[in-house]
Amino acid sequence: MTQKKVALITGITGQDGAYLAEFLLDKGYTVHGIRRRSSLFNTDRIDHLYKDPHDKGARLFLHYGDMTDSMSLTRVIQQVQPDEIYNLAAQSHVAVSFEEPEYTANSDALGALRMLEAIRILGLEKKTRFYQASTSELYGLVQEVPQKETTPFYPRSPYGVAKLYAYWITVNYREAYGLYACNGILFNHESPVRGETFVTRKITRALARIKLGLQDCLYLGNLDAKRDWGHARDYVEAQWLMLQQEKPEDFVIASGEQHSVRDFVNAAAAEIGMKLDWKGKGVDEHGIDGQGRVVVRVDPRYFRPAEVETLLGDPTKAREKLGWKAKVTFQELVAEMMVADMTEAERDELVKREGYLAPSRHE
Amino acid sequence: MKRALITGIGGQDGAYLAKLLLEQGYEVHGSSRDAQAAAFAGLAKLGIREQVKALSMAPGDFHSVLAALGEIRPHEIYNLSGQSSVGLSFEQPVATMESVLGATMNLLEAMRSLGGGMRLFSAGSGECFGETGAVPANEATPFRPHSPYAVAKSAAHWLVSNYREAYGLFACTGILFNHESPLRPERFVTQKIVQVAKRIAAGSKQKLELGNTRVVRDWGWAPEYVEAMYLMLQQDRADDYVVATGESVSLEDFIRFTFEHLGLDWKEHVVANQALLRPLDIVESRADPAKAARVLGWTARTRVRDVVARLAS
Repeated sequence: MTQKKVALITGITGQDGAYLAEFLLDKGYTVHGIRRRSSLFNTDRIDHLYKDPHDKGARLFLHYGDMTDSMSLTRVIQQVQPDEIYNLAAQSHVAVSFEEPEYTANSDALGALRMLEAIRILGLEKKTRFYQASTSELYGLVQEVPQKETTPFYPRSPYGVAKLYAYWITVNYREAYGLYACNGILFNHESPVRGETFVTRKITRALARIKLGLQDCLYLGNLDAKRDWGHARDYVEAQWLMLQQEKPEDFVIASGEQHSVRDFVNAAAAEIGMKLDWKGKGVDEHGIDGQGRVVVRVDPRYFRPAEVETLLGDPTKAREKLGWKAKVTFQELVAEMMVADMTEAERDELVKREGYLAPSRHE
Repeated sequence: MKRALITGIGGQDGAYLAKLLLEQGYEVHGSSRDAQAAAFAGLAKLGIREQVKALSMAPGDFHSVLAALGEIRPHEIYNLSGQSSVGLSFEQPVATMESVLGATMNLLEAMRSLGGGMRLFSAGSGECFGETGAVPANEATPFRPHSPYAVAKSAAHWLVSNYREAYGLFACTGILFNHESPLRPERFVTQKIVQVAKRIAAGSKQKLELGNTRVVRDWGWAPEYVEAMYLMLQQDRADDYVVATGESVSLEDFIRFTFEHLGLDWKEHVVANQALLRPLDIVESRADPAKAARVLGWTARTRVRDVVARLAS
């Protein structure tokens, strides 16, 4: 790279934002991130990358902003003059979107439009490339198996609807104004820094805590839901690759392999030497450990008003055009998450044993 | 007596629908953002201004919607409000999105919250299909929106579908293709063509300036389209329907029909104006309304030549 590139990441404090920031810093980019104001610290995932901005070598900078605030977004883009924008910020929880549909639409759908409009209004159409984090939830009630770039959408949640808007408005700005703008239709991607309320992280965290006696039981929703799970570290590379092509296109990013939630629980349990016996059906289904304790139960509270039963991606186009392929296997992903959550649980257990408060967090 | 609430009562469809529902014996409530300031010219033109109960409701304000629905307790709600110009949506994409998806979401949430089996008709758009080519679009055709307006309408369509499936609400989208009437304002191209042609026929030297005249569209008669809206809410099961004539012609044909009807040669009066081109436009839009005919028993009776004749008369 002759001239150092400048990237702007919305959602830098999230799982993908953190991995992408690290990836781009390694590539020599100057990275700017937008974070929301919060009374709690919310930069845990990027603290290890952060240097004091007065430090000469600092290449990571944070700005306050919010996807629901056009002014903040426009001002940050104007200041930063980015070569690449990665729009990763979103209310990204499907179940929560049924509770907060308006906020989800505002931040996920209008948020993407506000970014695109800012690029246009600031006259950066020729300079700034735009990546939109789209999702396999667009496929919802799947119209073909596996799902690829040409599969029609059928969203099943306010989250899916908001992301559908963001997908098409990105395509529209590409076609109407010649913007270099791409959608990455990412299937589920996880990691040790996945949000604690997402099912994979909820599982590895709970099993670690059950193993160490910090928790009794893990409550889950639909155990039969099937997903295509990959590692976030692999997926952020695909995001970057999409912005390095000759022309902008949309890509499905997936592992091409599918497992049920129950499979995930079994694989995670096996990592810590726990073998589960499944008994019962439907809402009465439960998982029993080697000592006869019921450690997994179904709680209908976690069922969604409209379920997405199965998602399986076909990443052929990404392989052929981007040369991208998921490297981390399902087993490796589960193992890495399990190790990290065992370490956290051990820390909590130690703190508790020594008489200090070890907060147990609940959803 | 059945009660209906029509949002966007000030528009073309709102006026014709109000007339139809009054004839069916409904108590008709019509909302506008400011009922006292609104002119309701359409209602006045149809002679029903006094029979419609006007109320102030901001469809983008959830509490305003919740209060209105709670007070009226309508049996049927017709969601017709929203920024409706494709061209303007490129200039005002955020406002377009908020007025289309925001209003739809507020109505759905209010229905979910209040219960009581209210039924919703939501105005979708044939624009959602984008370029159809020679194959007419039906309810199973995937969307491929080409404007901020169509993207917003696509999202609203799926939100209606989602609330129907997630919460069992009786909510339908009518995927309406272009439908015209004398109540259309002149910023819509068809009305502009007819009004300018009429002025030329009356002696004006005015030229008719247009953008792309090659576009192919399906044009029907608005008073018939509101019948389809009404019929959708009288079924046992909520579903989505394409509402169109099934016959598409080019804008050039539409112009030719108009000028022919007035005894003029269109080629002498039409000039192209690049400034009127949209950043992106649909070339060919075709519809297959077979499902509406089969299930609702609805078909468009007025075809494009008659639409033109009625507009120009």
